[in-house]
Amino acid sequence: MTGSGQSNIKSPNIDWVAILIYLALVVIGWVNIYAAVHEDSALSNFSMNSRYGMQLIWIGITMCVAVVLLLLDERFYHMLAYPAYIVGIAVLLLVLVAGKEVNGAKAWINIGSISLQPGEFAKFTTALAVARYMSRYNFSITSLRELIPLAILIGIPPIIIIMQKDAGSALVYTSFLFMLYREGLNGWIHVFFFAFIALFFMSIVMEPLTVLIIIIVACVIFESLRNGHWKQKIIYLAGLALATIILCSTITFLGGNISVYTTLLICSVLSLPAVIVYAYRHRLRNVYMFIALFLTSIIFAPSVDYVFDNIVQPHQRDRILVVISDEVDLKKEGYNYNQSLIAIGSGGIAGKGFLQGTQTQFNFVPEQSTDFIFCTVGEEWGFLGSTVVVTLFCLLILRLMQMGERQRDPFGRVYCYSVAGIFFLHAVINIGMTIGLVPVIGIPLPFFSYGGSSFLAFSILFFVAVRLDAGKRELLRT
Amino acid sequence: MRPSRSVILQIFVITLFAVIIVRLFYLQLIDNSYKQNANNNVLRYEVQNPPRGEIFDRNGEYIVQSKEVYDLMMVPKDVKQFDTLLLCSIVGEPIEGMREKIQKAKRYSWRQGQVILEQLPKEVKIKLDERGFPGFYTVFRTLRSYPRKIAGNLLGYIGKVNERELERDPYYKGGDYIGKTGIELAFEDILRGEKGVRINMVDVHGVVKGSYAEGMYDTVARPGTAITCTIDAELQEFAEELLAGKVGSVVAIEPSTGEILALASSPTYDPDEMVGREVNKNFPRLNSDPRKPFFNRAVMSVYPPGSVFKIVNGLIGLQEGVLKPEYKYYCAGKAGYTGGRGVACHGHTSPLNMIDAIKCSCNAYFCYVLKDILENRKYGGVKNGFDVWEKYVRSFGFGRKLDSDFIDERNGFVPSRETYDQKYRGSWNAFTVISLSIGQGELGVSPLQMANLAATVANRGHYYIPHVVKKIDGRDSIDARFYEPHYTMVESKYFEPMVEGMWRAVHRPEGTARIAQVPGLDICGKTGTAQNPHGADHSTFLSFAPRDNPKIAISVYVEHGRFGGTSAAPIASLLIEKYLTGEVKRPELVEYVKNMQIAYPYYDRQRSK
Repeated sequence: MTGSGQSNIKSPNIDWVAILIYLALVVIGWVNIYAAVHEDSALSNFSMNSRYGMQLIWIGITMCVAVVLLLLDERFYHMLAYPAYIVGIAVLLLVLVAGKEVNGAKAWINIGSISLQPGEFAKFTTALAVARYMSRYNFSITSLRELIPLAILIGIPPIIIIMQKDAGSALVYTSFLFMLYREGLNGWIHVFFFAFIALFFMSIVMEPLTVLIIIIVACVIFESLRNGHWKQKIIYLAGLALATIILCSTITFLGGNISVYTTLLICSVLSLPAVIVYAYRHRLRNVYMFIALFLTSIIFAPSVDYVFDNIVQPHQRDRILVVISDEVDLKKEGYNYNQSLIAIGSGGIAGKGFLQGTQTQFNFVPEQSTDFIFCTVGEEWGFLGSTVVVTLFCLLILRLMQMGERQRDPFGRVYCYSVAGIFFLHAVINIGMTIGLVPVIGIPLPFFSYGGSSFLAFSILFFVAVRLDAGKRELLRT
Repeated sequence: MRPSRSVILQIFVITLFAVIIVRLFYLQLIDNSYKQNANNNVLRYEVQNPPRGEIFDRNGEYIVQSKEVYDLMMVPKDVKQFDTLLLCSIVGEPIEGMREKIQKAKRYSWRQGQVILEQLPKEVKIKLDERGFPGFYTVFRTLRSYPRKIAGNLLGYIGKVNERELERDPYYKGGDYIGKTGIELAFEDILRGEKGVRINMVDVHGVVKGSYAEGMYDTVARPGTAITCTIDAELQEFAEELLAGKVGSVVAIEPSTGEILALASSPTYDPDEMVGREVNKNFPRLNSDPRKPFFNRAVMSVYPPGSVFKIVNGLIGLQEGVLKPEYKYYCAGKAGYTGGRGVACHGHTSPLNMIDAIKCSCNAYFCYVLKDILENRKYGGVKNGFDVWEKYVRSFGFGRKLDSDFIDERNGFVPSRETYDQKYRGSWNAFTVISLSIGQGELGVSPLQMANLAATVANRGHYYIPHVVKKIDGRDSIDARFYEPHYTMVESKYFEPMVEGMWRAVHRPEGTARIAQVPGLDICGKTGTAQNPHGADHSTFLSFAPRDNPKIAISVYVEHGRFGGTSAAPIASLLIEKYLTGEVKRPELVEYVKNMQIAYPYYDRQRSK
């Protein structure tokens, strides 16, 4: 076993392209941590106690771990999947009891002088367990009975993490939808998922009537894209509008008081039998899904305001409002958002140069070595540097997907796609928040953000994928 | 065929990363506002105030210096445990006040350097440096200082710019200092220099981290240019000393150049009082003083000239040919002029020729002279004669600004035919205006104009515009107008008998200014005793010396000082002696002048209110 493992490291089976991309990201990431924490004074020499020094130590540790991971037999991961998952859950629970609180989240545990964030490793154990579960013989993704345990498997870690008050890290578990889509999960789940995200933001910024019109028109258009019958849909929409106008004006004329929103809501619900008749006559089963989507949407949209105003925490509310609304004080709740945009925006085409970024060198950007590390990239390396980093992430994710595709065994495929999904979500949300596309969500940028736990966890995710991939190709060859 | 799900996912991934790149493209390449914002964040423009130009007297002695002072600053986060009592004793501040200031600074900012105390002298800074209080440091600034404490009104003072000044000149920014009066105002552009700017980079806490672009865009402050003025500091100081306690002025001019040797106004103030931390206390006190120490009487007061104006009338008569030096007129003493207009005179020999009429200052004599000028048949009427007279008077520099190099000059007043046409509804004659003959009536002249008359007589008919600045560093010459002689309408030859009269006034029996005599100095002078509506007569004296090739022309005006010979003449005499010989050998006269008691009910009534 060990003998063949030895040969794996040298063998061409290892995807060296992926490893090169990975190493490039690690090097660029470390350089930017150095720039972010660097103090321009004659007194500060290179110090191992500084953040860049610590990160360098973690990179060293990680490389040792990576070698071990590549040496292990792939069946070992298969075997270890469930025990690792259980240990992961146990540690998460332990953190809940005995953890250390940092920035309001009780997500840290001290081992000697080292602080670890077990939540970061739970992603890996969950990915392994999910891969193990989904690679079971006769597992069928279309069967609800098989899906419920899967949902529990994916759902437990984020629930514990939410209890640790680290909502951002919990959000990462939605990235398994990426893999599940590939594995053939019913597309409607994704439709509902994205529809609700869109509705959430629309309901905050728009009038209820506008949201309702958008819901109706979107349902009709997407239904028509699937089934055709455009002419009937236009007649339907016109009739709905006419009915609304007549009803509204009649009631107002008779002295009643009714809003256009309520009228349209009533008319559209009353029109549903006609839609059902249409579906039945043309034998279009997916229309019922559209009806379901419509009904859940009109219930979901009005409840958003309530949730947003009463359940979402004030600081989270500010983070969301900063991105979607203009009426935010850039000196207070919009400060991070604004300084981050200034840092990246002032970078220009080629950036201000290594250690020359005024925003990062003089600490205008908050959390600049962790969550906002991409600001340093944007400011000091400009559009060119940022594009290189974004492209490297894109290539790495596409490569992981490709690695998944070439596995025969669902275990490797599911795992690779899970890793791709996790990296994808982290990269898009983290970079997206620094450039004002996404509300501020405190999740790290893989291989860039300062932090030993996350760096090690991301690297483990990556190297296990490389190991599984190498093993499968070895099998193919022989 | 529908694309496989893995392809859809790949498209999805690429699309989202493409959106990120498009957004980056927009932020970094299209929208330029972020670059500006980054600069606003990090760049701090630190203005470098240049030291203001110094002012020297004509002998190269400092009369205005730029004194170095230090502001005590504190950075709260760097402050360690320290002996508050010791710090307070060094800077001379009560301990409670100090604690309060430190607390206030801590509340304001933990990391930024803030001013705790302003304008500490260098000695205090050295002591502070010796002790070394962590978190405290000092910042250099310059302040005006006046080694001789003289010429407050002439030099003027500087103060923070006000709204109007800010609007007028964009060079100034709030908090800058600007010349407010005197030479400081007139030569502001030269003295102030040019501000520099240093662009620093600060971090998020406002702590300076270094200079921007290695100082490429910094500008160096250009120090103000020094000015050498025409004032003789010794003479100026002595003039102020002699005038102390009186209200009045001294203007001394070098006749051959028009350079002002002394320009004293009394009461004056110690210019150091208008500097530094004491200004807020001193300014209101000085400004509300009823004797008006900020009022520069030497150039801003307009008085009746009194008998010194007989010189002008005599010269006009000589030039017009209606008077010859040997003409004699009777003087009836107290009875006055025949016209019964009540121009009285005082007892002296009679009749007198012109030279002795000047010596004795005979009123009647010059009434005849003015009458003859106005009634000259050549011009066919008194009014036409008056026009001629007015033109002559104006040629001596009266009734208009002399166009000097300092501000606040006054026109004075020379009446014209219209003045009397209006006053007497067109019906007037030589008798009506006869008080002009002895420098009373509607005439108004400033002490500067009188001193200029003294210089004109000393030069026998021409003057140079009086000015206070002799040299500006780095320039070869001052304005050309100061080198150009201005001739009166009276020819040079007519001045000699007048000079003789003025010489006799000082040196001969019955001379009105014998008190001014200094053996060997050949002082020539003319007293004046000006009636005025505010109280006792003003005492005035106009003189120059030596008689030939004069070095100094001087006009002294002492309000309510009574006869010209009583107070003005001794002052002028002492100043001439001081200037020409470098010392004063008449201590008893100095005592006499200093002990002179003059009452100023007109001013002091206002004070008691």
